[in-house]
Amino acid sequence: MTETELLPNELDETLVGPDTPWLVIVWNDPVNLMSYVVMVLQKLFGHSREKATKLMLQIHQEGKAVVSHGNREKAEVDVARLHAHGLWATMQRDSA
Amino acid sequence: MSERERFVEGDDGREVRLGPAEVALLRDLATQVEAVVTGPATELGASPVRDRLFPRAYDDPTEDEAETDWQTASHPDLVRGKSEGLSALLADLDGARGEPGGPVVVALTDERLEGWVGALNDLRLALAVSIGLTDEHQEVSDGDPLAPMFDAYHWLTWFQGACIEALVGDLGL
Repeated sequence: MTETELLPNELDETLVGPDTPWLVIVWNDPVNLMSYVVMVLQKLFGHSREKATKLMLQIHQEGKAVVSHGNREKAEVDVARLHAHGLWATMQRDSA
Repeated sequence: MSERERFVEGDDGREVRLGPAEVALLRDLATQVEAVVTGPATELGASPVRDRLFPRAYDDPTEDEAETDWQTASHPDLVRGKSEGLSALLADLDGARGEPGGPVVVALTDERLEGWVGALNDLRLALAVSIGLTDEHQEVSDGDPLAPMFDAYHWLTWFQGACIEALVGDLGL
């Protein structure tokens, strides 16, 4: 494929690399209960209660935590699942 | 009623007891929030409640095109999920039993109780935006016009926590 045939999105993916991982971040908010966040993280990501509690505490104490990562499509799906449960989630490229 | 009598565990879930005023609050809020959820989509900033229930996925403003695509793909399912959750809560209340003036008894399986926890969360998110809650320990004075809504919010917070505890046990948090 020549460069002129690339669509903007494909060009973008080429420049940064198709495998550049995306991070899904859950932000602290004043509404979601700690027990609810643990319940949702267990349900959506299959975490043990201990792992989910650790992530929840990171969100609560540090203001945010990375809860999943992967390609753009996976991150978009995970953000939608988190929004369906009322958690405040966004996605961004892994800049590390 | 005594808080111990709220949840009576049975073989196939439990019975939840609610006061008439609590049922009225849940009905009123669920009806209002469902109307917002199923109402027309709005520009960012036009409806703070919608913005909180359906936030952006992408932080980066240069990803606006991806954001639009994501919204187009995911928004209908998100609306349907929240709308169904609120409708199901209203239907459970419709199916409740109780004498006029006495407690209302709602029978909920684990699956339905989990549905309630999610719907209650949407009610709390919407109410928190409406009352301008920015801090979990925020309080208002008794004479404040928002005091009744803060009371409602704090009751919903307590009740959601109690539902979660009934579902998964006390996490000790």
